[in-house]
Amino acid sequence: MRILIVDDFSTMRRIVKNLLGDLGFTNTAEAEDGHAALALLQSQPFDFVVTDWNMPVMTGIDLLKAIRADARLKTLPVLMVTAEAKREQIIEAAQAGVNGYIIKPFTAQTLQEKLGKIFERLAASA
Amino acid sequence: MAVTMDKAWLVQRLQEALHALEAGDEAGWRREIDALAAARTQPMMAGLSRLARELGQALGELPTLPSEAGELDDACARLDHVVEMTEQASHRTLDLADECSALAARLREGGLPAIEQEQALDRIRHNLTEIALTQSYQDLTGQIIRRVVGIVRRVHEGFGALGLPPETHGRNAQGLAGPAVKGVDHHAVSQLDADDLLSGLGL
Repeated sequence: MRILIVDDFSTMRRIVKNLLGDLGFTNTAEAEDGHAALALLQSQPFDFVVTDWNMPVMTGIDLLKAIRADARLKTLPVLMVTAEAKREQIIEAAQAGVNGYIIKPFTAQTLQEKLGKIFERLAASA
Repeated sequence: MAVTMDKAWLVQRLQEALHALEAGDEAGWRREIDALAAARTQPMMAGLSRLARELGQALGELPTLPSEAGELDDACARLDHVVEMTEQASHRTLDLADECSALAARLREGGLPAIEQEQALDRIRHNLTEIALTQSYQDLTGQIIRRVVGIVRRVHEGFGALGLPPETHGRNAQGLAGPAVKGVDHHAVSQLDADDLLSGLGL
């Protein structure tokens, strides 16, 4: 399981990377915005994306839409981890095809729960 | 004048002009026609000069930026410094926590000589103290942020004194809302609300 962590703040990338490591996901890569993430996704194999929403150059929601519009990437699970907490935004993310939505600040437990739920659903639909 | 330019006066000017013309009094009829022309243009001139006067007053009374606005540059530099400080402190804390995790893993593996166990425990204790000390950034960033709050408030009051109330509607209309602040942002939902919302949408 190779996971791409996308956030413009290096500290948040580190925190997410550490939390994923604690959960046994040690194979990770990082990108600092949607544009850099998309370039990595199109050139290397990944199984999962954890992305922030508010980033310069290309936002997380645009990254999600680009992933869903890409024939090779469209089934890639995407977990949004963001401070954006408006109802309309959560609905927008859901409509764009997000697999999970975590509002910052979050706990290790929330991350574990959401990951578990996403994998459960993916296993059920596979 | 245009309004008060009564009919009798006009008739008189025209008759006088006609008489003068018939009598071959060129200066006379020119004088009457000039009087009529002057009467016609005077309101326009008065209007123009009033406009010019009002414009001059308006320009003279244009609000100048409150002097506090100059402090905004200063506020930006201070906030940039806060971002830098908090980032450094976070990385330092993460470094120390990483080292503690590695040491804990070694201790759990077991088989370490007593002296090395002791050293590992000392190191963990030391790191925990360092982590606590690293949090002292909060005192400094807190002071800086309070100062910036003071600047922003003075600028706000400066604009208020000029009768330039900030726009209250459409705030953040085009940008993202960012982290919700309790008591300020009323749009935000909690993780639980988000979960409900998403499960309602089949997620």
